[in-house]
Amino acid sequence: MEGDYRRSTIGQLFRLWKLYGTMDLMFMTRDLKLVLTYYISDVISNTASVSATLLLAERFDGIGGWTKFQIVFMLGYATAVSGIMWTFFNYNALHISRRLGRGQLDHTLIQPQPIWMALLTEGFTPFSSSAILVPGFVLIIWATAKLSLTVTPAWLAMAALNLVASSAVVLAFSFMWGSIAFWAPRAAEEISSSAVNLVHQIKSIPLDGLGPLLVGGLMTALPVGFVAWYPCRYLVGIDGSRWGGLATPLAAAILSTLAAWVFIRGIKHYGKTGSQRYSNFGHRR
Amino acid sequence: MHLNILHKYWKTAAMAATSFVGDSPLFLLDYLLRFLRVAVLLSIWRTILAGKGEVSGMTMESVLTYTLIAEVFAEQLSPRTGLDLAIWNGSIATRFLHPIGTFEEFASEAFGKWILGFCMFSLPLLAFSPLLGVNPLPESAEAGGLFILSLTLAISVGLAIEFIFGALMVSLELNMWALYQIRGAVTTLLSGALLPLPLLPWRIGDAFAWLPFASMASAPLRIYTGTGEALQLIAIQAGWSVILWPVAHFLWRASRERMVSYGG
Repeated sequence: MEGDYRRSTIGQLFRLWKLYGTMDLMFMTRDLKLVLTYYISDVISNTASVSATLLLAERFDGIGGWTKFQIVFMLGYATAVSGIMWTFFNYNALHISRRLGRGQLDHTLIQPQPIWMALLTEGFTPFSSSAILVPGFVLIIWATAKLSLTVTPAWLAMAALNLVASSAVVLAFSFMWGSIAFWAPRAAEEISSSAVNLVHQIKSIPLDGLGPLLVGGLMTALPVGFVAWYPCRYLVGIDGSRWGGLATPLAAAILSTLAAWVFIRGIKHYGKTGSQRYSNFGHRR
Repeated sequence: MHLNILHKYWKTAAMAATSFVGDSPLFLLDYLLRFLRVAVLLSIWRTILAGKGEVSGMTMESVLTYTLIAEVFAEQLSPRTGLDLAIWNGSIATRFLHPIGTFEEFASEAFGKWILGFCMFSLPLLAFSPLLGVNPLPESAEAGGLFILSLTLAISVGLAIEFIFGALMVSLELNMWALYQIRGAVTTLLSGALLPLPLLPWRIGDAFAWLPFASMASAPLRIYTGTGEALQLIAIQAGWSVILWPVAHFLWRASRERMVSYGG
């Protein structure tokens, strides 16, 4: 009985991803000008976001203890994490405080499906987000070749596991901060954007040499270090420890649990207060 | 009479400044994240420039001051008025009915938001800068005076670019979010707000310094830190201001009639 339920849940997830993926493809093929504008803007903004670090690495022949191509690998990894986030959590599923602050959680609550399933599927945009994901993987492959890394099935499995874990860290971080909007919908409407922007700005910077206090903070309270820096240290061989590859998945598990706890508390609060900003035409007041 | 004219701009600015804080003090968390970003950026520069002495005319101390002041005046060095958002959500339609000029209203609102940011973030950051190990003072009293002039010109160039982008958004029917992304990314890199232009490789910073974006951030910051020719930088800024404002007026006049708005 429980097995049937699990199968039906997983089947429903894939059905929804297929549905939203198809809608994304229809969006992409509907208006060429709009699609090109989005695509080019994604390419430009993501190139610009990593180019600052890349230019510094070129100018100073690496940063700290990182060589130029180790930096390229990290930039590729960081871009790929952003690509995964945009592929699965577009339409403000990642910037959850916007939905909460605008009273748009009501749109999710009236759907005949669990909230987690809605949030996990309705932001799925595999085609329109490929402008971020593809360059990320291209940078990783290029740097891997230049660094002559030994790519084994075990290394690939660890790389995939860490990519998923880093993405989970970003999502958990955004949800932890974003949940504040349950209690302060107006003031915290953009708090997820601030949190995600902070990750976006710092993710591709090697944190070696920042001092124990700052690095400690960036690995715990604001876990930006797990988004690219720490997993890449392991993947490019700077960190030779045996268990280094499991630190990010462990951090992801802890942070996700914390984020779920905070979010559920927020929903309980929302159940009592609702949204003061909801209006029947779906726009905030 | 003059005071009455200024009154409406001041009231617009005051409304913009206070509208954000009425809900909850939790809005302060946003500034906390910005403080952290500054601390990280300063540490990165210390890591990169440790033991390197003077690089392209910039010492580590001047780069740290440059970075600190770039964050203190971040909103002025990359001015955003909310014009694009108003065009996107349709509220621009009601703005035309307000008894105040469009340019002046958006500029006043931006000014109001700056007051809040300056009190909540910029002043505390300046006060705590010795704890971060950064000297917040300008290179000299003269550099400080010229910085104020340069900052004024930087705001002028930035606002002109803001209205040019707004007009282009209407006339070319560009998507707001796409344009917002492109502009943000390109401006951050080309303006020198994040990386001082002299520190870019292959001397590309020398070419970027002639672009209008450099007049928004790099010019005042280099004057403040004494790492650029002040008069030349101010002349370039004044030149861009003289060129860009007529362009902004022309484009805005030509495109506002093409605006179609629903909502707001």
